[in-house]
Amino acid sequence: MARRPRPAEYPPQFDAREFVDEPSDPPDERIEVGILIVGAGPAGLACAIRIGQLVQESPELAERLGEVPVAVLEKGKQPGSHALSGAVVNPRSLRRLFRGEKRVADMPFYGEVEAEGVYFLRRDSALRIPTPPTMKNHGNYVASLSQLTRWLAEQAEEAGATVLPETAAEKLLVKDGRVVGVRTGDKGRGRFGERLPNFEPGSDILAKVTILCEGTQGHLTGVAIDTFGLEGESPQVWALGVKEVWKVAKPLRRVVHTMGWPLRPQKRFREFGGSFIYPMGEDMLTIGMVVGLDYRDADLSVHDLLQQLKTNPFVRKMLDGGERVGWGAKTIPEGGFVALPKRLHAPGLLLCGDGAGLVNVPALKGIHYAVESGLLAADAAAGALAPGRTPWTPGALGAYDDAVRESFIWSDLKEVRNMRQAFGRGFYMGGALAGAMTASKGKFPPGDHPTELDAESPAVRTDRRRRYPVPDGKLTFDKLSSVYLSGNRTRDDAPNHIRVRTDVPEEIAVMWEQMCPAQVYEAQDGHVEITPSNCVQCGAITAKGGRLTPPEGGSGPEYTLT
Amino acid sequence: MTVAVFLEHHEGELQKGSLGVLGKAASLGDDVVGVVLGSGVQELAARAGGFGAQKVYVADASELEAPLPQPRVDALAQLVREQGIDTVLFAASVLASDIAAGLAARLDAGLNWDLVDLAAQDGSLVGTRPALEDTVYADVGWTSDVKLALFRPGTFDPVESGGNAEVEEFTPSFEDFSTQATMVEQAHEESEGPSIEDADVIVAGGRGLGGPENFSLVEELAKALGGAVAATRAVVDAGWYPYSTQVGQTGRTVSPKLYVACGISGAIQHKVGMQGSGTVIAINKDPNAPIFEFCDLGVVGDLHEIVPKLTELVKQRKS
Repeated sequence: MARRPRPAEYPPQFDAREFVDEPSDPPDERIEVGILIVGAGPAGLACAIRIGQLVQESPELAERLGEVPVAVLEKGKQPGSHALSGAVVNPRSLRRLFRGEKRVADMPFYGEVEAEGVYFLRRDSALRIPTPPTMKNHGNYVASLSQLTRWLAEQAEEAGATVLPETAAEKLLVKDGRVVGVRTGDKGRGRFGERLPNFEPGSDILAKVTILCEGTQGHLTGVAIDTFGLEGESPQVWALGVKEVWKVAKPLRRVVHTMGWPLRPQKRFREFGGSFIYPMGEDMLTIGMVVGLDYRDADLSVHDLLQQLKTNPFVRKMLDGGERVGWGAKTIPEGGFVALPKRLHAPGLLLCGDGAGLVNVPALKGIHYAVESGLLAADAAAGALAPGRTPWTPGALGAYDDAVRESFIWSDLKEVRNMRQAFGRGFYMGGALAGAMTASKGKFPPGDHPTELDAESPAVRTDRRRRYPVPDGKLTFDKLSSVYLSGNRTRDDAPNHIRVRTDVPEEIAVMWEQMCPAQVYEAQDGHVEITPSNCVQCGAITAKGGRLTPPEGGSGPEYTLT
Repeated sequence: MTVAVFLEHHEGELQKGSLGVLGKAASLGDDVVGVVLGSGVQELAARAGGFGAQKVYVADASELEAPLPQPRVDALAQLVREQGIDTVLFAASVLASDIAAGLAARLDAGLNWDLVDLAAQDGSLVGTRPALEDTVYADVGWTSDVKLALFRPGTFDPVESGGNAEVEEFTPSFEDFSTQATMVEQAHEESEGPSIEDADVIVAGGRGLGGPENFSLVEELAKALGGAVAATRAVVDAGWYPYSTQVGQTGRTVSPKLYVACGISGAIQHKVGMQGSGTVIAINKDPNAPIFEFCDLGVVGDLHEIVPKLTELVKQRKS
């Protein structure tokens, strides 16, 4: 049998050291803030809101943090522009964050989950199966994460935070072994890095504590993990989710999850995933497909699987008479407990949320862990700046790790630590093992099961593409019109932010072409053609053998409903 | 209500876009005056009468020779104050946008930009502004005393009215700070034929051409039709043709009378740049290409055979 190439054999030119620097701006041009948060998502904004509360309560802290107590950098056009999730949200940490000052009814939710169903699909049918215990959503709320994020940003600004959108954090500023801030990316460079007439250099932003809340595939989070040796016992792995938002004729009254078709159950294909269909009020719903990126079929395209999913009669019925109004894609860290960084802190630095891998795969939840970790990080950062202490006081920032370990984040993730890995053994075996794990609260089978890098999965060619529906522009859509709907209008002459080898075997080239939901890669005779301006920064290429770096601030998708 | 239209000119020609805005303003029935600013432009001013202006104010000054915005802000601000003008309209360009922004600040006037239509409703003006990637249109008005508007390029065609305008000269006084900038150099991009925003006929090439060398097919057809050449993002990205010819979401927006798309699939990113075209003809070998859903005439076939024949036929017909 022919040797099957693996994406990991073709690593991109990337060295974390390129993105670590000392402050270089003249001292009077550096921007100094108290606490610097990278990423205006649920973790970063919860952190900012909590710091705002602490500053209100403590004049000493207010004085210590200075004129700009909290700044939040966001690479998207506005907070929420790059936020995408299902999402069914467990509100417990949001309740804790707002301490009764805001109630769930004040938050932009589409209502509490009233009913739910899990289905096993075949091409033309759907069989209802019992809802696995981890997937029960009683007491949870449906949201658009993009909308929830926008709302959280308003709360953070009200709490005194300075939110800086269109600003990419490009380099970690490290001095004497301590993180002292970040350098933001330049703007207005041309394709070859040359300065265009509107060139604006980045700035050094210095802070007493830097908190990375970058979400999935965080750029500086990756740099920090490399620089400070924080790799966990197992490598992080990811899934890719592609979703659409539909205006529909009749309301959906329940939360639906599907397994099975169009994924294949055989162990050799390693296709782990499923779909979600959530109601968004009376006249909208969201439908998405999520597939683990350890899959092997080079011809697998999550975007096209989602299109295929919609042709199943059970699914199609929900969309009848409807219209697609939103589209987007994002990766989800799925390594869970065994892939968590060794520590969630380094000198001057804390890691939160999806960036740190705080996701519960069997429960399909991570937003409340992001909020909770942001909140705990704020407490730890404030504690490290209490009178008589500094972030360098031994154990000062380590208090954050202790707090996470004592929180429900830790116990939740520990209980389900081996479930994702079980599905590497095929759908049925995985299902049986997952059942045993649930029944034993994670005690059986014992031990920790390692994950394997997504990019280590060999690429095989299949005829799967023949079964993808031809886009009709009504129910099924091509990738380019989807990218358009994401609001992406990145200029074409921006520098390429994607580090990827272009001289790879055909299997790898096809794998990237098919994998990318935004048609960034095209496999051509003997090489890969790249269109970086299509990129919606989902992060899949980083999991599967390439590396995204931060593009120009303000570029990329402009999600509003995802 | 007195409406003034800023008439931009380059190399002795009034710009088509400005004349289009002038025609639109005249059709709304108010007093419409044109404004021509420059050096040695007396004769140009008189021509505006043929496109709907009842009167043209002209300022002829050496300070106005270079196409710089600040002296023009001075001149327009003076005109607004002295002549009871309450509305100034511009066809958007790099220069006009600069002037409009400066004038808005100077006069504390409201500026609506990127308008694609203008109407009179109950004695006041209402503009139409596209939003959300042109999927919705908003009616916009003004709350300020002086109202300014920039119209999207290519929105209105000039209408020849055959009238005559009274030309009145005025002498603007310039602020010190307005004459501090000088033009060091003016460079022109070499191009043959009309620019794609002004062209009545556009022949556009996409990746279906197969290679940069085949752009000659497109160029020859464009030449035969007296039109301009445009390109898609994919071929500009591949370096086959310059960015200045890119039509689409991240390129130019064009609205010629005739758009011939050769080897273009018609992705939405391209469509939004040319959907205002009059007649769209598509030549593509893929019958499933999205362009066949919105073209007026679709030819499924090999453009390498069809385009040369078409060029030949056009040439025969013309001679």
